[in-house]
Order: sequence, then C-alpha cells, then structure tokens
Amino acid sequence: MAQTGMNPRLRRQVLTLQVLTPVVLVILWELIARSGLLYEGVVPTILEVASAFWNEVSSPELYHHFGVTLMELFGGFTIATLIGVVTGIALGSRPFVSSVADPFLSSLATTPKIIFLPVVMLIFGIGPESKVALGALGGFFPIALSTMSGTLNVRPVLVDVGKALNLTRWQMLVKIYLPSLVGPIIRGMRLGLGVTIIAILLGEIKLSNAGLGFLAIEYYNTFHIASMYSILIIIFLTALSINAVMSYISQRFDRA
Amino acid sequence: MTATLEVRNVSKTFESDNGDRIQALAPANLGVKQGEFLSIIGPSGCGKSTLFNIIGGMIPPDSGEVIVNGVSVSGPHKDIGMVFQEESTFPWRTVLDNVAFSLEVAGMEKKERLEKARHFVELVGLTGFEHHFPHQLSGGMRQRTAIARTLASEPRILLMDEPFGALDEQTRLLLGDKLLKICDALKQTTMLITHNITEAVQLSDRVAVMSYRPGTIMRTIDIELPRPRDSELISTDKFAAYVGQIWEDLRTEADRGMKAVGEA
Ligand SMILES: Nc1ncnc2c1ncn2[C@@H]1O[C@H](COP(=O)(O)OP(=O)(O)O)[C@@H](O)[C@H]1O
Ligand SMILES: [Mg+2]
Repeated sequence: MAQTGMNPRLRRQVLTLQVLTPVVLVILWELIARSGLLYEGVVPTILEVASAFWNEVSSPELYHHFGVTLMELFGGFTIATLIGVVTGIALGSRPFVSSVADPFLSSLATTPKIIFLPVVMLIFGIGPESKVALGALGGFFPIALSTMSGTLNVRPVLVDVGKALNLTRWQMLVKIYLPSLVGPIIRGMRLGLGVTIIAILLGEIKLSNAGLGFLAIEYYNTFHIASMYSILIIIFLTALSINAVMSYISQRFDRA
Repeated sequence: MTATLEVRNVSKTFESDNGDRIQALAPANLGVKQGEFLSIIGPSGCGKSTLFNIIGGMIPPDSGEVIVNGVSVSGPHKDIGMVFQEESTFPWRTVLDNVAFSLEVAGMEKKERLEKARHFVELVGLTGFEHHFPHQLSGGMRQRTAIARTLASEPRILLMDEPFGALDEQTRLLLGDKLLKICDALKQTTMLITHNITEAVQLSDRVAVMSYRPGTIMRTIDIELPRPRDSELISTDKFAAYVGQIWEDLRTEADRGMKAVGEA
C-alpha cells in the first residue's frame, strides 16, 4: 500500500507500479502457458483458470469448505488469543517466572507448528477439531510472548496509582494492566493470526476431510490443476481480507 | 476534612543488586498539623521519595511508624492522597476520566462522578480540556490532571513528590500560584516534597530541611509570610531572607551529595 507520508509524485509512481505488477504477471503467465515450454497441466491458461474459478464460486460445495476453514480460523484464533493473553499476563506479572519461561516460549514460538500435527491428530482426529487445535497452538506463542513483554513493561508508576487507591486485583487487571496492554496484545494478535492461518491450511492439506486446503490438495491429487489454482486464488484473497481487517483494527486501537 | 500526620522514627535501608546496603533514611521524625502546608526540601538522593513512599504505605519502613489522626497505619490508606514524582496520568483516559478514576473504582455512579470530576478539573484550571487525552497536553497540564485526580478522592492528607520537578521555572511558579489558590480553598493538610527552595518558601507554612544520605530531618523553619500569597512574593526581602536561611542549611548537605555522586 502507498504510504501516506510520501510526496504525491512518488506516491503516484508507487501506485502505478502496484497496479502494473499483477497485470504484467498475468500477461507473463498467459505467455508461458501458451508457449508450450511447460506441460499444459502445470500452467493452465488464464481462461481455463477463470472458468474453473467461476465453476467454483457458483457451486455450493465451495461454500461448505470455505465455511469449515473460516470456522477453524475463528475457533483457533479465539482460543490462541484468550489463552495467549491470560498466559502472557500471568507470566509477565511475575518477573522471576517470566525469565524462567522466556527461552522455552521463544524457542517453541519459532518451531514450525506442523510438527505437532501427529500429536494433535491422535488427540482430536482428522476433523476440524485438530485444525483448530493446530491453529490455536500456532497463534498462541506470538500472542503470549508479546503480552508477556508488555506486562513486564507496564509503567510501575501507573501500578502505584492503583495501589495507592487500594484497587482489588480484578480492578488492577481491568483498569490498569489491560488498558496498558492494548498495544502489545494487538501486535501479538497480528503476528499470531498469520501463524494460525498457515498452521490451519497446512493441517488441512496434510490430513483432513474438509476446508479450502483440503479442496486444493484434492484437485491436485485428481489433476484438476485449473481448479486447484482457483482455490489458491480464493485462499489468497481470503488471507488478504483478513489481514486488511486486522490492520484496520490495529490502527484503530493501537496508539503506540 | 483534614487530619494530622506524624512520622515517628521511620528508617529504611535498601539492598542494591550488587549486595551493597544503602541507608536511605536514618530515623526521621516529623509532624504535620491540621490544615498545615509543609514542604520537605533536600538534595537529590537524600531519601525524600523513600519517605514519601513509606508515608503513603507503598513500602514498609524498617522501623518506626506513620500515624494519621493519632492512629498508626500501614499500607495504602484512604485518608492519604498521593501525587507521584513521575508522570502518572493514564494515557488511554481523557482528562475528565483520569480525574474521575478514584471515584470510578470506588463505585460511584457515572453521572455523579463526572459531575464531581468536573469540579476538580475546574479547580486546577483545566476547564475546556476535559475531553483531551494526556498526549495532547503540556507537561504542566498533565501534572495538574494528576493532582486533580488525587484531589477528587478527597484525601484528608495530600502528599506530593516533586510534582513540578520536570517543569520549567516559569511554569513551576505559575502552577505554584494555582496550588496556593487550591490549598486556600481546600484548607487541606499537605506535604510537598521538593528540591526547589523558591517553591518551598512560596507555598509553605513550614519547611523541613533534610540531610543528605542517610536522610533525616535536620530542622524545620516557619515561613511567616501573609496569606493569600502569590508568586509576586518572591521579589520581597522577607522571601529572600527565608531562601537564604534555607540555602544556608542545605548547602553543606547538597555539597555532601555532590561529592558522593562524584566519588561513585
Ligand atoms: N528500591 C530501591 N532499591 C535500592 N536503592 C534505592 C531504592 N529506592 C531508593 N534507593 C536509594 O535510596 C536513596 C534515596 O532515594 P530517594 O528516596 O529516591 O531520594 P530522593 O527522592 O531524595 O532523590 C538513593 O540513593 C537511591 O538510590
Ligand atoms: Mg525523589
């Protein structure tokens, strides 16, 4: 997206390039598809992809899988956020405990969550539950880490203001800690959402019976390559919209 | 609604991270009378904030006690209102909601608490800024918001730790005038901690001078200047005499403080 701080001429150039890039890519695609250099099956023409796309969006089956993926995302991300925030505050409000926990959390955070797939599968089966669990696991770490460091950095003088007024623990949490943590929590959620999306789609592609990832891999296995591309486009557009919503929310509420 | 405050034999020693023991307060004794404005003045690092935190119940003393209206207290006490040295307004709350904070946590109904908060916003001269956020205000206005927030809880004793410490001299004098008016209106028992001699003389009925570490109250000086006062007072001879007298006492202590810092 074009930065608002830029001068108008530069911004126009950026915008022009941003519009031209996909156009050029589409033309390149079409040229490669028609050149006969690659198997027809690997790079279908734009027309084929477009008609497959149209078939997809006009079939009720797509919406079933779309709904499954959205529900998994919603469930996984909600769980990641709730548990991540609670864990982050619980650890961050005890500096000793958080310094013990930090290396474990940090190294688990960078571990690809897909390695937990077998475990999650054993516990939750191949249905949506295991994808929710995988997504929650993925989103949890960035949210917990960000909340934890935010909690450690809550300004002590604000906590003192609460202490001087004899606030209850609950009031302390709701009136002082949580408002101080809005920025760190939202930043953690932004990172966590990306990880949750990746974890859920990977889970669907690896082993599942529904969802957009499942549909894409099904088309791949049955060699419906144009349809597979159209699902990828739908996944891409979905991720793009979710990200846009998250950006809006973070700009709206995170004043830091 | 005021009260007396007494500090009896209060002492405190800190242990720093590398195991050194720093005696911040040697046994200190001090009494503040009903409705009196007392300033405590002393060089940086002499234990002023430590004394402030002990009186407010934020940290326990190693020995001695804090007595409010004849009753020994420990821990934060509703009769004592604290204004902290550091910037302490809530950045996510407007001026009005900052000021209403203590009323809100005490469970006062919204309409009533906003009405009351408005009164205190007016008292500190911030009418028209009720719906501004702290980052939209100057440092002096933020500090006035913090003072109004503490006043709104209607403490019987007001404790302030260098509330104007971070402000420039002109703002400090003007805020001093403001504070004089507020104190005349509320007739509240007040203890102000400061390292500024002019401020101490301008505002106080009595000034207590603290020694450098370990801090203790060396002596107190009655400031017999007529009230109501304002900052014009600072050009009078009598004012200058008080300033001179306090500086005399402080000088050796400030010097010791400077040397201690230089050596460290
Ligand atoms: N929590 C603490 N741990 C260790 N040392 C402290 C602590 N608080 C204050 N001190 C030390 O005690 C001395 C007095 O500090 P303070 O009361 O803040 O002084 P002042 O407010 O007069 O500048 C200083 O030397 C300071 O470093
Ligand atoms: Mg101090």
